[in-house]
Amino acid sequence: MSIDVPDFDEKAAYDHDRPISGLIRTQLLHLHQAENLSLPPGRRTGININDLQTERQASEYIQKATVLLHRHGKAQAAKAAAKRPRKTKKVGPKVRAVATKKAAKRRKKPIAKARTGRPAAKRRKSSK
Amino acid sequence: MSQGLDKLKHIVVLMMENRSFDHMLGGLKKKNPKINGLNGDESNPDVSGNRVPVAPDATFQGQLDHDPDHHFLGVDLQIFGGAPQGPGRLPNMEGFIQSYATQGAGGNSSHAIMHYFPVEGPTRLTVLQTLATEFAVFNGWFSSIPGPTICNRAFAHYGTSFGNVDMNLFLMPAAKKSKVPSIYERLASNGHTGRLYYFDQSSSTMEIANLLTDQSLFGTFDQFLHDCRSGTLPEYSFVEPNYTDHPGPGGGQMLANDQHPDHHVLAGDNFIATVFNQIRIIPELWESTALLVVYDEHGGLYDHVPPPSCTADGFTASAAATGTGAEFKFDRLGVRVPAILISPYIARGTVVPGAEDAVNGRIFEHASIPATISRHFLDDNDDGTIREQSAETFLDLLGDTLRPDNDCPFFKLKG
Repeated sequence: MSIDVPDFDEKAAYDHDRPISGLIRTQLLHLHQAENLSLPPGRRTGININDLQTERQASEYIQKATVLLHRHGKAQAAKAAAKRPRKTKKVGPKVRAVATKKAAKRRKKPIAKARTGRPAAKRRKSSK
Repeated sequence: MSQGLDKLKHIVVLMMENRSFDHMLGGLKKKNPKINGLNGDESNPDVSGNRVPVAPDATFQGQLDHDPDHHFLGVDLQIFGGAPQGPGRLPNMEGFIQSYATQGAGGNSSHAIMHYFPVEGPTRLTVLQTLATEFAVFNGWFSSIPGPTICNRAFAHYGTSFGNVDMNLFLMPAAKKSKVPSIYERLASNGHTGRLYYFDQSSSTMEIANLLTDQSLFGTFDQFLHDCRSGTLPEYSFVEPNYTDHPGPGGGQMLANDQHPDHHVLAGDNFIATVFNQIRIIPELWESTALLVVYDEHGGLYDHVPPPSCTADGFTASAAATGTGAEFKFDRLGVRVPAILISPYIARGTVVPGAEDAVNGRIFEHASIPATISRHFLDDNDDGTIREQSAETFLDLLGDTLRPDNDCPFFKLKG
C-alpha cells in the first residue's frame, strides 16, 4: 500500500536567520554548562553564547560543543583503559589442555538447550 | 506471550516537539468516532469573553510565529481557565486563547491556538494521520508535567524530572545527586543496548547533554539509517529530530523537522515517514520492531481533554518554581499529546481508550517509555522511579497476527 506524501517548498520554509526559540536558548545553556563541568578551560569552545541570536549561529556552537564533549569523553575513556591492569594469566600446557576440554563442553551446551526449547530464565515477561 | 511480543527485538521511540493531540489528530474523530478527537463545537473564550470554536484551519507554517506559552504558569492558565489556586478547582481547558494573547498574539491571531489540521484536503497531515488510523493511536497519552520541553523529555529518559517543572539546567547535578541513571545507562549496565540518535552534531541532543562525554550512548540520524540497514540497530533507540534550520555538509540546507512552532509541520511529517520507511523496507527489522511516535508536550496548543491526576513523583516543586503561588507535587499530568504505536502485529484502526472510557481507559505518559523498555529488556523495573513503576506499558498491543506486507502502508516521498 503505497501512499504519496505531498511535496512542499523546502527552500521557502528554510530560514537559518530565524531568531532562536526559548528551547534552543535552553539547549545552548545546557551545552555551555556541560562544557564548563566536563572540559578543562583550554579545551572549551570559548564562545559567548549570549552573542548567539539566530538558528545558524546556535547550530555552529552546538556542533563545536558536541564534538569537544565527545572527544573529551573518548580521551578520558582511553586514558582509563590504559591505566587498568591487563588480566593475563600464564598457563602451562596441562592447565591449557583442561581449559580447552572445558571450553569444548561449554560450546556443546547451547546446542542441547536449543533442542529442548528456549531456557525459561531467558524468556521475556509480557507487558501488562 | 503474543507472537508479536515474542518476535520483538527493537523498540524505537521518535519524540517530536510541541503539538497537542487535538491540533494534529483531533479531526480524525470524523473518520473514526472511537478516536477521542473533536466534535467541532468545542470552544474557548477570547480576551473579550466571546466564545471561539475550534476550526480545521491550521497551517504548516506562519500561523504560530509567536511561540505559544507552555511554561508551568501558562499551562496552568490553559488548563484551569484562570481559576484561582485552591482545593477543589477543576481543569476545564478554557484558558488557551487567553494564554496565547499574552504571547503577543493580539486580536484574532490568538484564535489560531484553537486551529487543528483537517483530515482531508491539501492541509491534512498525510503521514501522521495515516499512521494513526493504520496502527494504534492512544486516546490517553499525556505529557508528564503541565510544563515545557526539558522536564517532560526528562521523564522519557529518567522517569522523573528530579523535581523540576521548568527549563532549568537540572539534569547534570540532580542526576548525579539522586543517582537515577538514564534508561540508556540502565540498559548498558545490564548488558543490553540502547542509543540516542540525535539528528546531527549541529542539532545535537536536547536534554541529556550531561551524557555527551559518553559517546557510545549517541549516534546521528545517518547512523540510525545505517544501523537499520546493517542489522546493528540497538534494542532501544530514541530518535531526536532536527531542531534548527542550519547549513548542511557541502553547502546544503538542513531544514528543522521537529515541528516546534513555527518550524514547517510538513518537514516533520516527512521525517516521521523517513523513520517509518527505513524500518518498513527491511522485512526482518519490520517484523521485529515496535516504533512509537510521540510528542513531548502540547506546546500551548488547544486540547479538549482535562489532564488527569497521577501518582505523585516524590518531589515537590516550590511555589516560586511553578510561578502560580502554589507548590506542585507532580500529581497531575500535562496536556494530551499525539502518540502512535506502529508494528505489523497491530491491527489496523486500533484505538487505545483513554479517560473517556471509565471502564477500559488507560492513561499513558512519558514515564511509560522507560517503564516499557525496562519491563521488556530488563525483565522488571530494576531502578525505576515511582512514576515509572506506576506507569502503563504498551507492548501488550502487539498481537498474534502478522499483517501481510501489502496490507501495511509505505510512504512515497518526493525528492
